Amino acid sequence: MKVLRITPQRCTGCMRCEIACSYEQSGVFQPAKSVIRISPFEAHTSYAPYTCTQCDEAWCMVACPVNAITISPVGAKIILNDLCVGCKLCTIACPYGTMFYDPDTAKATKCNLCGGAPACATACPTQAIEYVEAESADWLGSFAAERAETQLAQQA
Amino acid sequence: MARTRHVIVGGGTAGMNAISTIRRYDRGASEIILVADERPYSRMVLPYYLKGSISESHVFTAPPTRLRTLDVEPFIGRRAVGVDTQINTLMLDDGTELPYDNLLIATGSSAVRAPVAGADGSGVHSFWTLEQAQGVIRGITPGCSVVLVGAGFIAFTILNSILALNAQLTVVEIAPQILPRMIDATGADVVTRWLQERGVTVRTGVQLNAIEDADGRKRLRFRQGEDVMADQVIMATGIRTNLDWLEGSDITINRGIVVDAHMRSNVPNVYAAGDVAEGRDAVTGEAALHAIEPTAMEHGRIAGANMAGQSQTYRGSLLMNIVEVLGLEIASFGAWDDADAEVMSALRPERPAYRKLLWHDDRITGAMILGPARDIWATNDVGILKGLVQSGVSLRDWKSYLRGNLFDVKRAFIAAGATGRLLPQTVLGRPSVAAESVAVQ
Ligand SMILES: Cc1cc2nc3c(=O)[nH]c(=O)nc-3n(C[C@H](O)[C@H](O)[C@H](O)COP(=O)(O)OP(=O)(O)OC[C@H]3O[C@@H](n4cnc5c(N)ncnc54)[C@H](O)[C@@H]3O)c2cc1C
Ligand code: SF4
Ligand code: SF4
Repeated sequence: MKVLRITPQRCTGCMRCEIACSYEQSGVFQPAKSVIRISPFEAHTSYAPYTCTQCDEAWCMVACPVNAITISPVGAKIILNDLCVGCKLCTIACPYGTMFYDPDTAKATKCNLCGGAPACATACPTQAIEYVEAESADWLGSFAAERAETQLAQQA
Repeated sequence: MARTRHVIVGGGTAGMNAISTIRRYDRGASEIILVADERPYSRMVLPYYLKGSISESHVFTAPPTRLRTLDVEPFIGRRAVGVDTQINTLMLDDGTELPYDNLLIATGSSAVRAPVAGADGSGVHSFWTLEQAQGVIRGITPGCSVVLVGAGFIAFTILNSILALNAQLTVVEIAPQILPRMIDATGADVVTRWLQERGVTVRTGVQLNAIEDADGRKRLRFRQGEDVMADQVIMATGIRTNLDWLEGSDITINRGIVVDAHMRSNVPNVYAAGDVAEGRDAVTGEAALHAIEPTAMEHGRIAGANMAGQSQTYRGSLLMNIVEVLGLEIASFGAWDDADAEVMSALRPERPAYRKLLWHDDRITGAMILGPARDIWATNDVGILKGLVQSGVSLRDWKSYLRGNLFDVKRAFIAAGATGRLLPQTVLGRPSVAAESVAVQ
C-alpha cells in the first residue's frame, strides 16, 4: 500500500504540513488540530514530521469497544465519527502516540491519509513527506539518534 | 466428520472478540454457540449512555444480524450454571445440556457493594450492567444530589456524566486518596483539588457505616465526620469475578481462572478470557487479574485463535487506564506503583500537570500522566508513554536527559528507536482486520 514516507533530513520545520492537515481534517488553520506533528531536534536546528504509520496491529482499531475504527480502501485506519463515543481507549492503545482526542468534538482523531490524497505530502515544499508505495518503517529513529547526540552532549 | 463445536459463555468484550477471531480463521467451518445472560453490549460505553451522548442502541456490539453473519447460534438470556469437564458438557439454567469440543469462559465480573446496612435499599445503585445504568438514569433528575461511594476508576468513568445531568455530586472514599489503584498520592491531590475547585465535594479516608432512609431521601452515616444527605447513592465499591457457577468443577481457580500463554485452563479444551482470566502481565511477567477492556480484547483474540486450531502464544497484557474528569486527563500504564522501581516525577501545579516515570535500569516499566485535555492532546505523549512501557526500549543516555525533562518524552522515544521495535509487533502474528470484514463464507 501507499504510505507516508518521511525523509527527515529534508524537513525545514516550516509547519506547512501541520497547517494543511488541520485544515483538511477540521476546516481550521490550527496546528493543534493537526494529526501530523513536527518535532524539533538539535535545539531547533532540525525538524521531523511524525504521524501514524498505519501499523499492522492497528492497536487503536482492535481496542475500540464499539468498532468505530475500520480500514479504508487505501489501507488507512479511520475513525467512523458517528460510532466514536470518545472513550479514548484508542489513544492509550496506540503505542506511537498518534491517536489523538479533540476536546471540541469529543471524538478521537487520527491520520486517515485524506482518503488517498494526503494534504501534508502535497503541502510539503521539500518532499520531506511523500505518499509512495512502500513498507511502513521507522523513518525518524536513526536521524533523531544522530541529531540528539549533540543535545545529550550539551546536557552532560 | 462433525464440525468442531465451540461454546462461548459470556457475550462481552472477551467473548465477542473470541468469536470473531475464530471466524476470521475458519470462515464458518465450525459450530459456535454463544451463551449469554445479557444481549452482547460494551459495558465501558455505558457512561456515555448515562450522559445522554449516545443512545441505548449504541451500546450493543452484536445485534442478531451480526450474530447471523458470524453464524453463531445464540442462547441469549440463558445462564450457564455448571460444567462437567469429564463429559465436555455445559449446563444451562433451563436444564439445557450443551456438549462442546472447546469451551470458553468469558463471564466477566459483577459489581459488589460494601457490606453496610441499607446498601440494598431503594435509591442505592451499582453501575456495572446496562440494567443498572438504566436504574441510575431513572434515578437522577436535574438538581438532585448524588453520592458516589468509592472513588476508584469505574466511579471516575461516570463522574462527568453525573455532572452533565446537572446533579450535585459528592464523592466519598475509604482510602486516604481518590483513584487509589490508578495514580499515586501526589496525582490524587492534583485531581482532588481540580474537582473541588469545580464544585465537587470529595471526602477521603471515610468509612461508610450505614445508608438510612430519611423523608424520601438518603442519609449516609460514616465512622468519621458528618452525615451526608443524598437523593441517589451509587456504590462503586468493587467488583468480583463471575465464577460462582464453576464451583465444584475441576477447573483451577486462583483469583481468576488460571490460564497458560494460550489462554487455556488446566483442562485443555477449556479456555478463559477477560475479567475472569488470570493471565500474564506483560510488564511484571506474573499472573494478574486486570479487569480492563484491552486485556479482555486481547485475551479473547488469543483464545479464539487457539480454539480455531492455531498456536498463538500471548506475550501478556499491559495494564492501562485513562479517564477524564471535567477536562483533566488522567492516565497510567504498566507497573506505575512498583516500589522497587527507580522513580522520576515532575509536578507543575499551575497547569496543573504531573508526570511520573518508573524505571528498571534504562527501561520504563510504568508511567503516569496528568494534565488539562488541551495540554495533553497537543502532544503525542499519552500513547508514547504506553509505547515506552510496551516496547521496553533501552533509553540509554536519554535516561539522564529525562530526569530534568520529564515533559519531553517524544524525542527520547523517537531517538531510542521505539518505533522500529514496535512496528513488527502484532498480537496474532499477522495484520489485524476490521471487525466488519469478518464473516462466514
Ligand atoms: C461503567 C464501566 C466503565 C468501564 N470503563 C472502562 C474503561 O474506560 N477502560 C477499560 O479498560 N475498562 C473499562 N471497564 C471495564 C470493562 O468493561 C471490562 O473489563 C470488560 O467488559 C471485560 O470484558 P469481559 O468480556 O471479560 O466481561 P463482560 O464484558 O463483563 O462480559 C461478560 C458477559 O458474561 C455474561 N455472563 C456472566 N455470567 C454468566 C453466566 N453464568 N452465564 C451466561 N452469561 C454470563 C454477562 O452477562 C456479560 O454479558 C468499564 C466497566 C464499566 C462497568
Ligand atoms: S493510530 Fe497508532 S495504532 Fe492506530 S494505526 Fe496509527 S500507529 Fe497504528
Ligand atoms: S475514542 Fe472513539 S474510536 Fe477511540 S476507542 Fe473510543 S469509541 Fe473507539
